[in-house]
This record gives sequence, structure tokens and C-alpha cells, in this order.
Amino acid sequence: MAIGVAVAVAIAFKGTGYAVQVLTSTVIFVVLACGWNIISGLTGYVSFGQVAFFGLGAYLGAGLIVKLHLPWYVAAVLAGLGAILVAAPLGGIMLRLQGIFFALGMFGLARIGQLAATSIPGTGGAMGQTVPTTGNAQVTALAIIGLACAAVVLTHAIMNSKLGLQLMAIRDDETAAKGSGIHAEAVKVVAFCMSGCLAALAGALYVWNIGYVDPTSAFNGTFELQTILMVLVGGIGSKWGPVIGAIMISLVGQVLWARFPMQEQIILGAITILVVVAAPGGLVSMLNRFGWLRREPVWAPPPAVESVHEAAAPSQAVARRGNGAALHGEHLTKRYGGVVAVDDVSLSTQAGHVLAIIGPNGAGKSTLFDLLSGFTRPTAGSVRLGDRDLTGLEPHVVARSGIARTFQTSRLFPTLTVWETVLVAASSLHRSRRKAVAETARILSEVGLLDAWALLPERLSPGQQRLLEIARALALHPRVLLLDESMAGMTPQEIARVHVVLMEAVRQGCAIVAIEHVLPAIAPLASRVQVLDFGRTIAEGAPADVLRDPIVIEAYLGVGEEGEVSLSGRV
Amino acid sequence: MLHDYGLLVVTGLLWGGVYLLMAEGLNLIYGVMKVVNLAHGDFIVAGGLVTFSLFAVYHLSPIAALPLAALLLFVVGLAVQSGILERLVRGGANAELRTLLATFGLSYIVSNLALLLWGGQVQSIPFLQGSLTIGRLSVPENLLICSAFAFVFAGVVHFWLTRTVSGKALRATAQSELGAASCGLNIQTIRIASLALGSAMAGAAGALTIPLIPFQASSGSYLTVQAFTVIALGGLGNYVGAVLAALLLGLAEAFASFFLGSSAASAVVYLLFIAVLIFRPQGLLGRAGRV
Repeated sequence: MAIGVAVAVAIAFKGTGYAVQVLTSTVIFVVLACGWNIISGLTGYVSFGQVAFFGLGAYLGAGLIVKLHLPWYVAAVLAGLGAILVAAPLGGIMLRLQGIFFALGMFGLARIGQLAATSIPGTGGAMGQTVPTTGNAQVTALAIIGLACAAVVLTHAIMNSKLGLQLMAIRDDETAAKGSGIHAEAVKVVAFCMSGCLAALAGALYVWNIGYVDPTSAFNGTFELQTILMVLVGGIGSKWGPVIGAIMISLVGQVLWARFPMQEQIILGAITILVVVAAPGGLVSMLNRFGWLRREPVWAPPPAVESVHEAAAPSQAVARRGNGAALHGEHLTKRYGGVVAVDDVSLSTQAGHVLAIIGPNGAGKSTLFDLLSGFTRPTAGSVRLGDRDLTGLEPHVVARSGIARTFQTSRLFPTLTVWETVLVAASSLHRSRRKAVAETARILSEVGLLDAWALLPERLSPGQQRLLEIARALALHPRVLLLDESMAGMTPQEIARVHVVLMEAVRQGCAIVAIEHVLPAIAPLASRVQVLDFGRTIAEGAPADVLRDPIVIEAYLGVGEEGEVSLSGRV
Repeated sequence: MLHDYGLLVVTGLLWGGVYLLMAEGLNLIYGVMKVVNLAHGDFIVAGGLVTFSLFAVYHLSPIAALPLAALLLFVVGLAVQSGILERLVRGGANAELRTLLATFGLSYIVSNLALLLWGGQVQSIPFLQGSLTIGRLSVPENLLICSAFAFVFAGVVHFWLTRTVSGKALRATAQSELGAASCGLNIQTIRIASLALGSAMAGAAGALTIPLIPFQASSGSYLTVQAFTVIALGGLGNYVGAVLAALLLGLAEAFASFFLGSSAASAVVYLLFIAVLIFRPQGLLGRAGRV
């Protein structure tokens, strides 16, 4: 990066007027691209309205310079702050939308911004207004280069921090991220504000550079297209992608614009389509295949054996567990329109004991877990942990309060390594980086995945993936662990391994509630079994009794069968 | 005073018909492929501008030009789906967004092409310029014709989708690609056909509306947002809902335009769009939890 900056500064001082202009516009796009990458690439919320903030910054900057006669750097900083003030509440609203709705919503906002700029008095209307500049191209160029450096440094910093880890987790699977204790709503807004601030700063400096502001150029749709294209070409969600893409497309654009000025948008549009079809991961992902520019795992140590032994001894974990805090779900009911998924189900756990929940498919078992872990609000009933009422609280709050879960279908983070997956959960619990890292190492070693720390989930066997999910849940030091068919698809050796891990957790006072179809996997561990059918509890008690209960047999096999559902799972 | 409101309501409802026409094609495409074709508005504009040229050069009335515009856009839609969208990596976390990005790029291509072919100025056709007077209300004839056609057309599409085998095949694919494929339906053909048909509908809409609304090459994106607002408000993929939503939108814009002026009226459309997305993403008639 130092080389790039040196080149840029050299051009600023020695280059021709034209070269300096090209440089300035390229560097502005670097800023825009980095900003867009933060919300769209890292967080996964693709926005088609980046120019909304660019235009906001442009108008704020222009207004401050013209009306209040502030020097340009003060105006720019204030424009950036103004953007954050706008972005925070706006993000809170818009980020509730998913996928294409968010993209289109932002697109609409950009158009609203343009309309507002045209109509609100004092902005100069459709014709815009001039802005006094220093007239010194070098100063402008240097300022913008400085901003671009800041943007790149910011991106690097984010991608090596807890924030970046959380953003990527949200991008990969927001539900699992919340279940791992991440306050997704707040974190997303932070990313959104950063992104908007960068765009606004770019807008303010742009206006100061060209000395003019008007709605069509400030909220220019082509800027949007170019920004998106640049990040796509470079590699969306990567550290260097936005920079590489911005430089490449800027230079290509200059060549094209010189020779085909009328067809600029056609060519850009065509390149966008080409990139999306042929290389959606951009240049960086192509280079990744050769091992270049790969993303480094966040806070990765090379976990040497010594550091694992140094890590917290198991006794440290007991501090959070134990205390016999019991989970009580009382009269839980969930209705979806006319369908009653869970009908007046009560359950309670005891520290150090395993409760197995069984029942035919569609009995409402997973819905019950959703109610207990805060992913769904109960229509009626309450959830208490100890003396704390958790009913209706957000999933990440429930997770941090001590209820951790796995999901029926594995919800792992496809772009996060094994190490980072557990680290995400550990870091939402421990403020200190050192502690989070130590905990992650300890847990991975306990479940036997430490050697695989650098692998992506797709490289693990199905059984290992389930194990990783359990490890992630354990990183939250839960008092209650909700396992949703965790042992499906595991080999007998893997099941044995999980038993060891679970028994250790139980020994330290954790309570476990396990939904299982594979009865031999859970029967040896369970002290009690609860059977659900059609959303209702139909039997409850010690395993041997429950599995012989005729009502239970009927639920699984229908009327007229005799015999018992044996502990080996066959009748 | 009452007369004014009456006229507003009638005008609003009739414009609702126009918006319905523009949204029908998008509803079809979204319903089947869960894809928002961001170039939809540009297709409408293209259809309208082609009609304009046919009128200017060959003096063809929009009604006669309609099948030609529709055919042209049908071919374009065929090319786009089979050449571009079918080649996108299917499935995975970002499939929807990739399609969105591809059609985003497409939108710029189409609007820029339109700019090259027809220039940047606003075009319209003087067609059926008279107005029909019913009682004390005076309604422009072309609006009436366009709106009437829109409702008839909506009825035809609804009939096709619910009563014919091909229409049901389309709906089956929309509800479950896997299930439809298991029944022996060629889902790739159905996808291509639906984008082509949706584009043809856009072209037809453009042909009918250019006498009413002046188009320019860059009008496309606004029309896309408008059409998407209609289908989102009605419940994505819900054809009856789209009718209701279009009428509501027509009324909203008519009143906003009257009280606040036309640029504010456009802002109202965008705001309504965002409001629908946030507060009622399943639309008026969609089922909660479907989105």
C-alpha cells in the first residue's frame, strides 16, 4: 500500500492536469468502493443506494462551505458526522429488510434523496450551486488520497477485529450469529454508519474538488453502478478487492470514455453482467485459488500444544455453570394462524441432568426449541432461567444469559474457519481477546477439532460439522444446552466422542435438553424423557417407562402394534 | 369540491389500471423465479419508444403497434433469460442477489441503448386526445382505453393462470421447482418462457401507456420501482392483490399530485415502497411469513 500511496502522491505533484483529475476521481472511487464493501461485502447487506450518502455528504459539505463559510476540512468532517447521525436511525429501520428488499429500499432512498435535493429550498434546486474551492488541484488530490488511505486502513482494521468477525458471521448466517450471542441489529447499524460516513466524506470532498453541486451528479446512478462494479470485479467482501477493482475499472473507464463516450453505461452494464455470471467472487477469489491474497483468520494463533495447556483449566468454566439454575418452560403455546405448533407444553431441566425430547416428525420439537431460545415469541406461556424471565427476549440476549443451542439443520458459517466459528461465540461472552482466544483453543481441543482449526466447514465430515456446532454452543458457557438432533449422521466413534464432551459439561453442572431420533445416542445419557406429539406432551418420565408406554408406541407406530420401542431403537 | 374529489378518485382508479398493466409482467417473473427484473421499467420504456417510432414513421396506432412491441420484448426476454440469467450459479446464499446485480447491469444497458437510439428527449404520442364526459366528470379517452385494456388483460392473465394447463404449470413451478420437475415439467423452459412473457407484457404496457405518459430513456428505473411497489403491496406473486395494490397506488399518487405537486408525488411512491417493505412485506394479501 505504501508504494501505491507514493505513486499517487507523485502523480499529484508531477502529473498533468488531466492525470491529476483521473487520479482524484479514481481515489474517490476507492473510498466509495471500500465504504460499499463494508456494508455489502462484509455484512452481506447489498445496497443499491450508496449514492444516497454520497449525495448527502455532497450537499452537507456544500451547504457548510457556502452558508457557514467553514474551511473545507471542517465541512468534510461535519458532513461525515452528519451522515452518521442520519445513518444510525435509518439503518435501524432499513436493516430489518433482507436481501433484495434492502437493496431496493436503499435504491428508493437514493432516488428520494435526489428528489429532495431538487425540491428543498436553499439547495439550489435542479441547477445546483457553485462551491468555492481553493483552486489548487494538488491539495485536493492529497486530501482525497489521505481519505482513501484511511478507508483502506479502516477496512483492514475491521477485518482483523471482533467487529469484522461478527459482521462476517451475520453475512454467513444471521440466525446462527444471533444464537451465538451477537447483537446483530446493533452491529449491522455500526457497519451501515461506517459505510455511509465514508460515502459522505467522499461526497464532501468531491464537491469541494469540482466546485459544484447539483442533484444529478451528486446522486448519480452511474456512480452507484460503477462502485458496485468495482467491488464485484475486485472481489466483494475482501480486503483488497475494492481497491484493486476501483483502480482497474477507473482506468478502463477512462480509456472507454475517451473512445466511446456515449456507450459508457452499456459497457459498464455488460461488464457487470459478465462478472456476475463468470466470476462472482471477483479477481481476489480467482487469485485465492493460487493462494494469493487469502483472508487471514481473525486473531488466529498458530495454536501450539503449549498454548493449549496454558489455556484455562476446566475449573474456570465452572464459575458460570453450576448454581443449579434450572430452565422452566411453562405452558408454552405457539400458534401460526390456525395451526397450533406447540400446545401447552411445559418442561423443566435440572443442572447436571439430561432431558431427551422425542416424538414423531412434525410434533413441534424444533418449534419448542425456538421458543426456549428466543427465536420465536410464544403465543402464550413463559420461559424462565432460574429466577430470570426470558420470555420474548432477543435470541442473542437469551444466548448470553446461558441458553445455547444447535440447529436441526447445521447452521455453520461457510466462510469462517473452525477456529473463527468458535471464536465468534467465545468473543461475545468474553470481553478480553486473550480470554476469548484461550477459551476457543480449550474448547476445540476438548472436542478434538483443534488440528482442523484452519479448515472451512465444507471440508469437515457431517459428524465433525455437528461437533463444531456443539463446540460453538459450548463456547457460550451455557447453563442449558439445547441440542437439536445433533447426533444425526454421526459415526459411532463420533457419537462416543460427543458423549464424552457432553458428560463433561454435565459434570460441571450444565443441563442438557436433546431432541433426538437416534434413540441409542441419547438413551444412555438421559435421566428423563419427554414425548411430544402434535405439539403436546403425551408422556414423561424415566426412559424405560416412557418407551414402554402404549400411548407413545401408538404415536410412533399407530394403533394395533404390540411390543415396546426398545432402547436399541428397533421394535 | 365534491366534483374535484370525484374526479380525483376516478382518475386515480384509472391510473391504477395503468400501473397494474405495468406491474403484471413483473409479478409473473417474480412469481415464477423470485427474481425482480430491475430492467423491467426499461423494457416498458423500450416498448413505448418502439411504438413511438412506429407511429412517427408508419403512422401505426398504438393498438396496432402493441403486438409488435410485445413481440420484440418477448424476444429480448428470451435472450436475456437463456443467455444471461440461466447461466448464473443457481442456489447458494447469494443467488437472488446475483440475479439482482445482473438485471441491475442489464437495466443500464437497456436504458443507455434507448438513449442512443431515441435520444434523451421526452417522447409521447398524440393519440385519442379527446375526453369522455360522463355527467360532470370529464375523463381523457386514452386513459380510459388504456385502463380498460389493463383490467381486461389482467382478467385474461388470471384466467390463463388458473384455468389452463400451461398457466397452472407456471404456478406449479413458482411454488416448487423440485415438485414441478418431478411432475415432468421442463422448468428451464418455463423459466425462460416466463421472463419472455413478462417482458412481452412490459412491452405491451409501454405501447399502451406512451400516449398517456411521456417517456424518456431514463424513465425506466422509476417505472421499475413503481411496478415493484404494486406487486410488493399486493403480495409478491399474488395477482388479485396486485389489482388492489395498483388501485391504491393510483389513488395515492392522484391525491399526492393534487395536494403536493408532481415531484412530491414521485417521492410518495418511493416512500410507500419503503413503507410496504418495512411494515408489511407480505403485502395486503400475501400470507404472513412467506417472505
